[in-house]
Amino acid sequence: MNKTENNSETIVEFRHITKRFPGIVANDDINLAVKKGEIFALLGENGAGKSVLMSILFGMYEAEEGEIYIRGKKEQIDSPIKAAALNIGMVHQHFKLVENFTIAENIIMGAEPMKKAAGLFPVVDIDYANEKIAALSKEYGLEVDPTARIDEVPVAVQQRAEILKMLYRDAEILIFDEPTAVLAPKEIEYLLDIIRRLRDGGKTIFLVTHKLKEIKAIADRCGIMRRGKLISVHSVADTDLQELANLMVGHKIELTLDKKPPAFGENILTVEHLTVTDRNKLPVVNDISLSIRAGEIYAIAGVSGNGQLEIADAVAGMITPTAGRITLQGQDITGCTVRRRTEAGIAYIPEDRQRVAVVMDMTLRDNMVLKSYYRPPFADGLFRDTAAADTYTAAALEKYDVRSGQDGDSIMRTLSGGNQQKAVIGRETDLDAALMIFVQPTRGVDIGAIMNIRRLMLDLRDKGKAILLISMELEEIMACADTIGVIYGGEIKKTAPREEWTIEKIGEYMMGLGERSKANE
Amino acid sequence: MNKKQAISVSLIAIAASLLAGAILLLILGKDPIAAYTHLLQGSGLLPKAAYAAHRGMFTDFMKFLTAMAPMLLAALAFAVALRGGMFNISIAGQMLAAGFTASLFIGYSSLPALIARPLAVTLGLITGGAIGAFIGWLKHRFNVNEVVSSIMVNYSLMYGISFAINALCLDPVSRQSVRVGEAARLTLRNIPLGDYITDISLGILLALAAAALVHIYMTRSIAGFSARIAGLSPTAARYAGIDLCRHYTGTMAFSGALAGLAGVCYYMGYYASIQMKVMPSMGFDAIAVSLLGCNNPLGIIGASFLITILNKGSIYMSAMSGVDMEIASLIIGTMLIFSACTAYMGQKLYGKNKGKETAK
Amino acid sequence: MMHIITDSLAFILPLLIMAIGGIFSEKSGVTNLALEGLQGFGAFAGAVAAALCTAHLAPGSAAPFYIALLAAVIGGAVFSLLHALLCIRFRADQVVSGVVINLFSLALTTCLAKSFNRIFSHTAQNRISLDIAPQLPGGFYTFELIIIALAGLCWFILYRTRFGLRLRACGDNPNAVDAAGLSVERIRYTAVIISGGLSGLAGICFAYSVTGCFSSAVYMGYGYLSIAALIFGNWTILPTLKACLLFGLAKYLGYELVKHLNMPSSYSDLVMILPYAVTLILLIFYSGSTRAPRALGEAFDKGKR
Repeated sequence: MNKTENNSETIVEFRHITKRFPGIVANDDINLAVKKGEIFALLGENGAGKSVLMSILFGMYEAEEGEIYIRGKKEQIDSPIKAAALNIGMVHQHFKLVENFTIAENIIMGAEPMKKAAGLFPVVDIDYANEKIAALSKEYGLEVDPTARIDEVPVAVQQRAEILKMLYRDAEILIFDEPTAVLAPKEIEYLLDIIRRLRDGGKTIFLVTHKLKEIKAIADRCGIMRRGKLISVHSVADTDLQELANLMVGHKIELTLDKKPPAFGENILTVEHLTVTDRNKLPVVNDISLSIRAGEIYAIAGVSGNGQLEIADAVAGMITPTAGRITLQGQDITGCTVRRRTEAGIAYIPEDRQRVAVVMDMTLRDNMVLKSYYRPPFADGLFRDTAAADTYTAAALEKYDVRSGQDGDSIMRTLSGGNQQKAVIGRETDLDAALMIFVQPTRGVDIGAIMNIRRLMLDLRDKGKAILLISMELEEIMACADTIGVIYGGEIKKTAPREEWTIEKIGEYMMGLGERSKANE
Repeated sequence: MNKKQAISVSLIAIAASLLAGAILLLILGKDPIAAYTHLLQGSGLLPKAAYAAHRGMFTDFMKFLTAMAPMLLAALAFAVALRGGMFNISIAGQMLAAGFTASLFIGYSSLPALIARPLAVTLGLITGGAIGAFIGWLKHRFNVNEVVSSIMVNYSLMYGISFAINALCLDPVSRQSVRVGEAARLTLRNIPLGDYITDISLGILLALAAAALVHIYMTRSIAGFSARIAGLSPTAARYAGIDLCRHYTGTMAFSGALAGLAGVCYYMGYYASIQMKVMPSMGFDAIAVSLLGCNNPLGIIGASFLITILNKGSIYMSAMSGVDMEIASLIIGTMLIFSACTAYMGQKLYGKNKGKETAK
Repeated sequence: MMHIITDSLAFILPLLIMAIGGIFSEKSGVTNLALEGLQGFGAFAGAVAAALCTAHLAPGSAAPFYIALLAAVIGGAVFSLLHALLCIRFRADQVVSGVVINLFSLALTTCLAKSFNRIFSHTAQNRISLDIAPQLPGGFYTFELIIIALAGLCWFILYRTRFGLRLRACGDNPNAVDAAGLSVERIRYTAVIISGGLSGLAGICFAYSVTGCFSSAVYMGYGYLSIAALIFGNWTILPTLKACLLFGLAKYLGYELVKHLNMPSSYSDLVMILPYAVTLILLIFYSGSTRAPRALGEAFDKGKR
C-alpha cells in the first residue's frame, strides 16, 4: 500500500511532546515520525490525547515541552496561521463553519482573494473564489456548490467544505479528527475514497478515530494512544483488529452483549401520523406512525438531521407537533405538558445533555431532582425538602457510579462528560417510567462506559420497559434493538424486526435508497 | 465562588469605588475625608455640629430610613427578576406608575389611615406587578427583549403620567402633583418621641418584611427553585417540565410588585408628590445595589444601606463642603462598573474554583 | 410638509448611524445595550470641544461644529473601550455591562459638565450650550450628508471587505474565525469601538438638532430606540433604515397633529410617547421572526471547543 518512492522521507516528527491541562497530562512525552504520503491513524479512547496532539500540530495548543520538526526543520507552531504556512490543515470533529455564510465564504475566510473595486477600494473577490473552489472540487471529486449556504447543505457536504478549506490553502499535511462520526455508511465509503485519493496525490494524512474498521480499510500505519501516552505504532497490514482493540483499552474488553430473547408485552407508546414542521413551516417529521411494546427496544436509524431528534422531542413534549396523535399506555398525551408526560411515564435522555438535560451551573444534587423537586418526597407544600434530595443523591451517585469532586455539592459543569451522562441516565432511570427515550446515549462516552450503558438499556428492556432508541451508531442499533425503523427525509422508510436487517441494508435506506415499501401497513 | 469570597469581592468593589471618588475629590481640590464625613452626618450616622430644636442624629437617621425603604425594595425587585434570568430595567417606571395610581386613587381620598394605607400598598403592588407581568409576557409570547421593552415602557409611562398629572392633579405652584394626604402616607410625620419630633417610616418595616420573604422564596420555596432553573437555562427548564409562560410572567410580576411597593414608599412615604417628567433614579441604582449585594437579600440590605448613605448624605455634603451632589451618583456609577465584573474578579482572586471541564 | 421631512431627518439619520454601530458590535457577537451611554458621552465630548474652540474662533465659523463631530466620534470610541473591556477582557455579562455603562455615562457626564462650566464659564450649570449646526439650502443639516456617506461606507465595509466578512463570522461562529488563525478578540474590540464612534457621532447630532445643548436631556432613550430598530432590521442595514424612518415619522407626525388640531401644549407629552409606543408595538410583531447572530452575547472561550 505504501507508495515506495516516498518511503523514506519523514515529513512530521514529534519529539518529547508533553502537554498538561489542570489535573491531567494530555500528552506525555510523545515521540513519533510520520512519512510523506502515508495515512497515519491515531487510535485511542475519548480523552486519550489524540485530539490534543493534533491540535498541537495545528497550532491551537502549544506543547509545554518537546519539539516539532516539519520537513526536517524545527518549527514553532504557535497559531493556526503558522500551521497553514507550513501547509498543515485540519478538519475538526466539530466543524468550524459559519452557518449563514456560503461554502465559498467559509473556505476563503482568513485567506481571502482581493480585488480593487473601482480601481481603488480593496474588496473580497468572491467570483474568483467561487471559480477556484469549483475547480478544486472537480479536481478532487469533492462535489459542492460554492454558492450554497452552509445551513442549507447536509452534513456530508459541510465536511467536504472543510476538506476544501484545507486544499484551498494548499495543505500538504491533512488532519482528520473523527471524520466519520456523523456520516452514513455510503458517505463513509465516499470519504475514505477521497482520503485515499488525497494520499495518492502525495498528501500526508493523519486520521484520528476510534473506529477500528476504518483504520483497517485505509491506514498505512497506526499509533495507539492511552492516557496521554503513545503506547505503540503498528503497520496496519500486519496487525489484527482484536489486538488493536485490546491495546487501545489496555486490557481485554468484552465487546459482545448478552441479549436475551425478547418478551414483548402490551403496547406502551403509539404514535400516529405525527408531523412536525420547522420555523419555515416545512415538515421535518412527515406523517410518521410507530408503536413500541413493553419489553421492546425500538431503534430509529438515520443520518443526523433527518427528523429523528424531532420525533423524540415531540414524544417528550418539548415541541408541539402540527398533526398526529401520541398515546401512552392508552392515554392520549398529544396535548399534555412536559410535566404531565413525565408523570404519565416518560423518561427522556436527550441528545444534547449539557444544554438540555442538566443545568450546568447548578449542583449535582439539584440536577438529580430536576424533574421531581416539586413533589414528595422532595417537597412539602410550598417548600423544598433539601435533606430528602441529599439522601437520594448520595444513594443515586453510588448506584450509578457517578464520580465527582464534592459529591452532591459539585457544580455540574465540573463533571466529565461521561459522568454527566451517567448522572442523567441514572436520574431518568429512577423515574421508573414506562417509556424511556434514549437519544445518542453513548456519544462522547468511553468504551467501557458505552458497554455499561448498552447493558443498562437491555436490562431495562428485560424489566418490561418500552425503549425508544435513537442513534447514529449503526453498530449500537444492531446490538441492542428489537425493532428497527430507518428514517430519511422525515419519513420512516421501513420498519422491521432486527433479524431482517443488515448494516448494508440499513445504510441503503438511510441514504433514501432501497425499495419504497411502507412497513407500517 | 462561595459566599465569603463573593462578599469580599463586593467589598473590594465598594472600597475601590470610594477610593476613586476620594481621588476625584482631591483633584477637585476638596477634602475627601471631610466630604465622606458629611455624607455620614447627613445620613444620621455621625453627629452634626449643631441641630435645630427637637432634631438630632436620631431624627436624621429616621429620615434616612424613609429613604432606604424604597431603595431596598427596588433592589429586591431587581434581584428577584435576575434570579429568574431577566433584567427588570423598568423598576423606575413601575415605581412611578404605582406611586401615581396610589396617589390618585388613595392619596387624594379622605379614607381613614387604617384603610388608606393598606389600600395604597395593595394598589401599588398590583400596578407594579401588572407592568412587570406585561413585560414578562411579551418576552415569553413574542420573544421581545425585556431590556428594550422595559425602556419603552419607562418612557411611555413617564410622559403618560406627566400628561395625566397635568390634566388631573397639578399643583400650579410647585409644578408637581398635589401632595397626598397624611392619612395615606407610609411615613408618620412629626411624631413626638422623647425630646425629639421625628418621622417614622412604615416603609422600612414593609421593606424588611419583603427582604425576609424574598430570602425564603430564593432559598426554600419550590417557586424560587423553578425560577432559578429557568433563569440559568430555559431549555433545561422546559425539559424539566417548568411552564415558561408562568415563569416569565410570574417572576416579572413578583419583581414588578416589589417595585410597585417601592414606588408607594417613595412617592407616598419619602416624598408626598410626583415630579413631572422625572424618573426615580433609585429604579436604576437598584441594579448596583442588587449586584453589590450578590443578589442575596441580606447582602442587598447592606448594599442599600450604603447606597442610601451616598444618595441621602450627598445633599448635606453638597451644602457643607460645596461638592457637587453628582459626585455621589458618580461613585455609585463606578461601583456599578466594578460590580459588573465581580465574577471575573472572583476568578482572578480565588483561582478557578469552578474548575474546568477536563480537557479532551 | 417640507419641514416635517427636514426635522425628522435630523432625528432619523443619527438614529440610523447609531443603529449601524450597534449592528457592527452585535454582528461581531457583542451585545451592545451601551449605545445610549456611548452617544451621551460622545455628545459631551463634542460639546466640550465646541465650547473650548468657539472662544478662539471667529463668531459664526462652522469649524467648531466639525471639531465637535470629530471629538464626539473619538469620545464615543474611547468610552466604548470600557464596554469592550468589560465584555471581552473581563467577561462581564454583556447586558449588565451595557446597562451599567449607560448609568455610569449619565453620572459621569453630568458631573463633568458641571465641573467644566465651573472652570471655563464660571457658572454652575450642568448644560453646555451649542450654536446652531450648519445647514444647507432647504433646511438640511450638513451632518445629515456626512451620516448618509458614512452609512454607505459602513454597508460597504460590512458586506464587501475582508474585515466585514470576518466580523460577521465572529458573531455566528467565533470558533471558525479562530481556526482560520484570526483573533476573535481583536475583531470584536474593533467592532465595539466602531459602534462607539458612530454612537458618539449620533449623540452630538442629537445634541445639536434636538436639544441644542449638552445636558442630561440627551439621554432620552434614543440608544435603546436604535437597538429596537436594528432588531426589526434583523441586524441588516437597509431594513434598519426603514425602522428608523418609521420611528422618526411617528414622532414628527404626532407633533404636527398637536399643532394642527390646536391642542394645548401639554398634549405634547402624549405625543412624546409615540416613538416609544410604536417601537414597543413593532417589537411585538417582529421579535419572533428575527434571528439574532448565533454567538451574540457569549464571551469567546478559546479553550472551549
